[in-house]
Amino acid sequence: MPGRWLVFSTAVFLSASAAAAEEYRFDVEAFEKKPFEVNGYAELRAERFWLDRDTALYQLTFFDQEAHSALDRTTGALELSGLYRRGIATVQATGHAEAARDELGSEGETRLYEGYLTLEPATGTRVEAGKRVLRWGKGYAWNPVGFVERPKDPNDPELSREGFVTLGGSYTRSLDGALKTITFTPLLVPTSDHVNEDFGPGDHANPAGRLSMLAYDTDFDVLVLGAGARSARYGVDFARNLATNFEVHGEWARITDATKPVLSASGAVTTQTADTPSYLLGVRHLSERDTTTIIEYYYNGAGYTESEMRDYFTFVHAAYDQFVATGDSTSLERARNVQNAYVRPNPMRRYFYLRVSQKEPFDILYVTPALTVIANLDDRSYSAAPELAYTGVTNLDLRLRVFFLAGGRLTDFGEKQNNRRIELRARYYF
Amino acid sequence: MSSRPRLRALLRGLLPLVALLLATPAQAVDGNALLKQLDRNLEPESYEMYRKLINVEPDGSRKEYVLYTVKKGRDKMVALFLDPPSEKGRATLRLGDNMWLYIPNVGKPLRITSLQSVVGGVFNNADILALEYSVEYHVDQVEEDGNRYILSLKARTPAVAYDRLKMWVDKATVLPVTIEAYAASGLLIKTLHYKDIKDFGGIKRPSVLETDSPLYKGYTSVMLYAKIKARVFPDEVFTLDYLPRAGELR
Repeated sequence: MPGRWLVFSTAVFLSASAAAAEEYRFDVEAFEKKPFEVNGYAELRAERFWLDRDTALYQLTFFDQEAHSALDRTTGALELSGLYRRGIATVQATGHAEAARDELGSEGETRLYEGYLTLEPATGTRVEAGKRVLRWGKGYAWNPVGFVERPKDPNDPELSREGFVTLGGSYTRSLDGALKTITFTPLLVPTSDHVNEDFGPGDHANPAGRLSMLAYDTDFDVLVLGAGARSARYGVDFARNLATNFEVHGEWARITDATKPVLSASGAVTTQTADTPSYLLGVRHLSERDTTTIIEYYYNGAGYTESEMRDYFTFVHAAYDQFVATGDSTSLERARNVQNAYVRPNPMRRYFYLRVSQKEPFDILYVTPALTVIANLDDRSYSAAPELAYTGVTNLDLRLRVFFLAGGRLTDFGEKQNNRRIELRARYYF
Repeated sequence: MSSRPRLRALLRGLLPLVALLLATPAQAVDGNALLKQLDRNLEPESYEMYRKLINVEPDGSRKEYVLYTVKKGRDKMVALFLDPPSEKGRATLRLGDNMWLYIPNVGKPLRITSLQSVVGGVFNNADILALEYSVEYHVDQVEEDGNRYILSLKARTPAVAYDRLKMWVDKATVLPVTIEAYAASGLLIKTLHYKDIKDFGGIKRPSVLETDSPLYKGYTSVMLYAKIKARVFPDEVFTLDYLPRAGELR
């Protein structure tokens, strides 16, 4: 009997030891660097838009369609990134495909976001050619110095975006002393009828450059885009930790000969040209209770004034009334011709951004509630978006957001086509 | 009284003092020197290594992350996430008290704070990018308890994540066994347990670091170490421009 007990005890001990070893297993060889790498994500997004039929942008968008009080949209997206490395060369590419369906119909598109070759003959010296996403600036919601990138959506600043075809490089030196690092990034953004046609018109080389420094524990950049398909512009930015839990950042840019179409209340369209400054000042704070707060103030010198925006909305309302009364859509078409300038995100002058997120409240791991507010300081309209994110399942991100848009008549957020929106997004990474 | 007896009397008086002075260095432990030795026993000054970070929840479910880390000198460090795919490519850079986080989708490094969590769970950024103990702390007090030293450590600057550490050190190996991390308020934030000493090709050190926290009852975080190798990288590796390419170092 004691013999059996000994055998049993030994078996239990051995299996427990095996379980402990299994518990903390680390097969590091599985993570060896490989010449090929592929990864990406698949995303499913369900959205409901509550439409406000009395707003200018609803009337402009839906005047020739059946009336809707709500839209339910389902979107599926797939993003794939691949990399191949050999010697000093690396080829990287990212493709994005998206298909959406709602009561108005369905649409889909596939785009190459990036596809470029990097040659790195020495650490800190690099040459790159191909389609590339460049993100300049320190701002979270906006980047006045983002001269060679597509505008970011302040409601989703971390979304991946499509790049431009560029030829460039970078040279970095680390130094001893107050100036710790210096990096120079020269760049060409060629435009023609076939390359970067949405960067700007005409055949141009569009030289650009960035000089980055880390000095006195502060990040500094000087950024320039020469005249070509776009007018010349230059700017600076900085970021610094004032304390371990408090960061401050800012950007300033000057755009020479910035143009914008202005539609008067009577319907006349003129083009305004002026040298305009834009700037941003922001802070980021982390409290002892793991609350992250981001606050930014953005002055968009190239944006519309309150009276210019009121004129546009007044014209759209009048044009819609005319269409309802007579069936004549000429004026609405005229408003549509300039809507790209007026309807883009944050088209006016002064904006305020606030994002407060609480990591794992009440010790609930992997849950992060947040609130994002974007306010137009000119007309006091705003968008408020509470959200809940959950990352408890490996490789799966879940996010639920609700947008509430508020503002008076003829205001930025008050005239958007929807006054509420709910969005549930599931993203699976592989 | 002649001068000779006076000299003898003086020497007699000084002798115990001289003996005490000579004996003190031999008996007292220099805590800061001990801490430096402990750092060297844990890792070379410049190195590369792989780590697996496991968050174990009360129901036994786990989340695992794999990191590749490189360090140079006292305060230059890069940590790159290799796994899972949702975190792959995420990289953090530390230069002294400055820290940045690069997320592939965001496309540019952003300044972050030391206590910010890079992934959910008990570990925060300061744990992942922790420098050597002797760089971040000085020793206030050394006690002895059998085969252990007990070191009381105080953060050198307010920038350090935990204000005070209480560290139990094995006398024979000069390696940490248990560390309690306290906030400035005196609140115990977490307890670290070093386990399973292994030979990493010249460096014999614990291969497992277990962490629990009274703030996250029932949750445990485990760090497993692998392939710790002395390696010196160019300074240009520890720059914002290089951070997106940190994976090329391996």
